[in-house]
Amino acid sequence: MQPYRRHPCWPEKRRCNCVRLVLAVLFVSGLWDSADVYASTSPDGSDVPLLLFSGFGTLGAVHSNNDRADFTGGFFQPNGAGYTHSWSTDVDSLIAGQVAATFTPELSAVVQAISRQGYNNTYAPQVEWANIKYKITPDLSIRAGRTLLPTFFLSDTQNIGYTYAWVRPPVEVYRLLPVDTNDGLDVSYRLNVADLANTIQANYGYKSTNLTNNGGTAKARGSWGVSDTAEYRALTARITYQYTNLTLPPLDSFFNAFRQFGAQGVAIANRYNSDHKPNRFFDIGASYDPGDWFVTAEWAYNQNNSFTGQSTAWDAGGGYRLAKFTPYLLFAGAKARPISDPGLNVSSLPSFLIGPAIGLNAALNSILSTNPVQTTDSIGVRWDFAKHFDCKLQFDHIRLGAGSSGTFVNIQPGFQLGGTVNLFSAVVDFVW
Amino acid sequence: MVTQDIIARIARMRVLAIGLALLLASHAAIADVVAVVSAKSGITTLTKTQMADIFLGKASRFPDGTQAVPVDQVEDAPARAEFYLKLAGRSAPQMKAYWAKIIFTGRGQPPQEVRSSAELKKRIAQDPAAIGYIDESLLDDSVRVVR
Repeated sequence: MQPYRRHPCWPEKRRCNCVRLVLAVLFVSGLWDSADVYASTSPDGSDVPLLLFSGFGTLGAVHSNNDRADFTGGFFQPNGAGYTHSWSTDVDSLIAGQVAATFTPELSAVVQAISRQGYNNTYAPQVEWANIKYKITPDLSIRAGRTLLPTFFLSDTQNIGYTYAWVRPPVEVYRLLPVDTNDGLDVSYRLNVADLANTIQANYGYKSTNLTNNGGTAKARGSWGVSDTAEYRALTARITYQYTNLTLPPLDSFFNAFRQFGAQGVAIANRYNSDHKPNRFFDIGASYDPGDWFVTAEWAYNQNNSFTGQSTAWDAGGGYRLAKFTPYLLFAGAKARPISDPGLNVSSLPSFLIGPAIGLNAALNSILSTNPVQTTDSIGVRWDFAKHFDCKLQFDHIRLGAGSSGTFVNIQPGFQLGGTVNLFSAVVDFVW
Repeated sequence: MVTQDIIARIARMRVLAIGLALLLASHAAIADVVAVVSAKSGITTLTKTQMADIFLGKASRFPDGTQAVPVDQVEDAPARAEFYLKLAGRSAPQMKAYWAKIIFTGRGQPPQEVRSSAELKKRIAQDPAAIGYIDESLLDDSVRVVR
């Protein structure tokens, strides 16, 4: 039985005209350039920029040696490299523009829009940041509006390829949470003691996010989180806890089918449905970057009483800077459970229900097999070839855990659970 | 005995030569770019960390509690590349990446830029809160070196 072979967040195959769009936006943004408007005057008589325009982007291409499934860069991408495209420019390409306004030394605002492959396979720009910030003291500030959640070690900078060495943050870790932005409030307090700079941040809010494959809208209600970042000389460490009440709607009718099978069916439906389920996320990460070289590692845990289950994920990597070249190694892994379930006990059912029950069990196991168990070994090099530009080449060797399709989507007949996949990626990152 | 004496002499000369080389090297390293404040400023010394915190946007005040306003030279100025390499061990692309993280997360903006050393001195001289950096050979009475 195949009706639920696709993950709820998987897409239909659609035509894409993304490259043209990215190039168009790139051209326009190039004309725009970084024009700063100096208007207001600070108390000391110097000009304070009122509006600052800036932006960043990535143009990339990814090739996968496995044409039976798609590799994607994030949870919200409907397709990628492998099945849909032999070479995909959608996985990593994006362009973003930002306007930052400073009204007074205390009051500022920022709006950032980003164009990249979205849930509906278009490059329609989405607002990633839109908030007003008020500095109560130089070290205490409050923001209202939309922010990127600071969940993972690189979360709030994960779109800006220019700021890290690898092609993309490792998918094992960065796909753990199906929510990345938050509409609400956030408070940040910085404390400097001798060489230690500590920043504690707390957030509260709500977010609804459209899912791929007409999967409806994921709702993250009553989200709150705390993260603490400590910087001591070349060392940066961060610890985060994030809670949200998560609803992923697309499987509701599927689990309702289980409810027709009495108590055991209701138990399965209650265990795996994703309607108002508490989601708890924890992440700890650190990096050490004295200048010529760097190492970084993080570990994350996500727990949700639904079909997405419990996941742990980690990454560790490092690089050495040789003039304009930074060769690097990166390792990552994810382990989710459950990835299978015995399902309904068919022996207790009347004969006319056995067939449908076996079908539902198979579908349930298909869904659970999309909970990722995989590791990736990556080797690559970053080349800072021009001012404000870098170029990166990366090779990934992905090993899927037994019975898991890993982070891959659009699984086709012939795809081997527990197999291996090799990727080659080339990107150019820029900031302006 | 004579041999030992010669060996000892050679060893002393070597120490002297190495010392001289180190002295020259360190002199060369500090001769080029120096941090400066207004002659009217009360600031005379800052540790490397205190200075780095101000230029990297991690501190908005001097250790004495007065406001600190860092001023950058333009990105292509050799003084700027050298200053940040010495201060933070970061190259120009690394500094650009550092500020990209802060700008695109709405956490702040890099220091204001001035177009030339002359403009920098003018800007620093009139503002007791300002701190910048210039080539040591361009020093004059309007600004004071912070060590």
